[in-house]
Amino acid sequence: MLRKIVLKRALVENFNWWSDDGNPLALLIFFNRNPVLPVSDLKFEPKQGFTVCGLTQGTSMIPQGLTAIKEGLPYLLEGALVNIAVVLGAMALGFALGLPLAVGHVYGNRKTRSLIGIYILFFRGIPLLVLLFLFYFGLFSLSGINASAFTVAIVVLGLISAAYQSQILRGAILSLPEGQMKAALSIGMSKKKAIFFVILPQALRLSIPGWSNEYSILLKDSAVAYALGVAELMARAHHVASRTYQHLYLYLTAGFIFLLLTYLGTKGLNVLYKKVGIPGYLR
Amino acid sequence: MLKKRFWIGWLVFVFLMAGLGNSAFAQDKVYINGIDANYPPFSFIDKNGNPDGLDVKAVDWIAEEMGFKVKHQPTEWDAIIPSLKNKKIDMIASGMTVTEERKKEVNFSIPYNETIMVLVTKKDAALTVEKAKTKDVKWGVQRGTTEAKWIEENMLQKGFQFKLQHYDSAPLAVEDVINGRVDCAAVSTTTANEIIDKGIPIKIIGKYGQPDDVVAYAVRKEDTQLLNILDEGLKRLMATPLWKELNEKYGVKK
Repeated sequence: MLRKIVLKRALVENFNWWSDDGNPLALLIFFNRNPVLPVSDLKFEPKQGFTVCGLTQGTSMIPQGLTAIKEGLPYLLEGALVNIAVVLGAMALGFALGLPLAVGHVYGNRKTRSLIGIYILFFRGIPLLVLLFLFYFGLFSLSGINASAFTVAIVVLGLISAAYQSQILRGAILSLPEGQMKAALSIGMSKKKAIFFVILPQALRLSIPGWSNEYSILLKDSAVAYALGVAELMARAHHVASRTYQHLYLYLTAGFIFLLLTYLGTKGLNVLYKKVGIPGYLR
Repeated sequence: MLKKRFWIGWLVFVFLMAGLGNSAFAQDKVYINGIDANYPPFSFIDKNGNPDGLDVKAVDWIAEEMGFKVKHQPTEWDAIIPSLKNKKIDMIASGMTVTEERKKEVNFSIPYNETIMVLVTKKDAALTVEKAKTKDVKWGVQRGTTEAKWIEENMLQKGFQFKLQHYDSAPLAVEDVINGRVDCAAVSTTTANEIIDKGIPIKIIGKYGQPDDVVAYAVRKEDTQLLNILDEGLKRLMATPLWKELNEKYGVKK
């Protein structure tokens, strides 16, 4: 009893819930079982929204929000395909560059190692947004290549991913027992052959868990391509929200789609890991 | 031998990846119109995901009349002039206000509308324009716009004590008025009326002092040919009854 009254006080004082703004009908009925304020004092205007904890919502806004989601969903899902394309492109480019970088970092001479170190420092040390603008408005424009924002997003994310993937692979190479290399050399393989046929096949498999981490990071980073005007999921959620003014519902939907993609991707890579994993190393 | 071939193959793969994006997007020459996709009713994305709005429809009409192809490209507003100068887009037809500052960077077509800047608050707020200019009141504004610059230079730098918060788009600024994070937002009457028509509980409390400006299309300085085409097209469009219909359809009050 007392608690109910205190709770009602809190609602009244904090949210002005009986003011002209309109009220959540459900709350009103619930808290009026033992009324301090008679229902007749409460005004309820169903056409208006109101604010609870900083989120615009209300009994009358929910159907509008759901309509906006329903209407916007095909458009949003197309945007999710753009995100997937960016992630796949960046992952592939990152792998293509990251593999030689990793091998060079572990087995290269001092000069190679320091060059690779500079590359990694550069791409790991500068924020993604800065690199995107630097490449889109700076480097690509100066060099006269008229690349679309989509291409720039893939290239920049790919170059950054190369730095990270090289470190994932390097970790995997270093985690192999030293005996693997020694054994390969002792049966007369050259060092390069040993890297190709003994070290890398094992290291690549070991690095799959690290990759699934990289996948989820890339997926989330791909939303930053929004800043260049790439019509990806986040940009599209903003487009629909600007037309319908249902910001909460559309960003929730975008968040849910990202979550789903992250879940499916990491799950898929996990299955791959189980399938190709080296029996002795699997836990 | 093997490794050499391997590395060459690898290089080819990398270049293919890099080239993929470019070749996939190579097309016939069409003019690209950069729009702010979050600026209804001038330019926005419709239910089916296509660009829509007064400017989009007007440019489509002009393109057909003057015989060129046009594609509408959503572009982030605060990077839209760099995008134009870098040839990422060829024109901006998206409710852009003509200012002296922008005239140094781009050329403007003949004006087709005007911007009247006002303050909006929650419907039930007691804030007046005079009170809004006092200390600790929070204003919201879209980043990279004429109003953001004007308020900065003519109010904040002249000793007004209110706080200014920047947003990615005008609808987001208004959203935060409703959320209560800012007390009022500086938007154009066109935007304000559009939002009120959607049933969002806000109201216009009045002009805060920014002089009215005109709205026009922007092109690169060197693109005089395109500018002439757009000027001619706009003149023809404004002479038709369709122009009035479009303005009424999108609720752009002159």
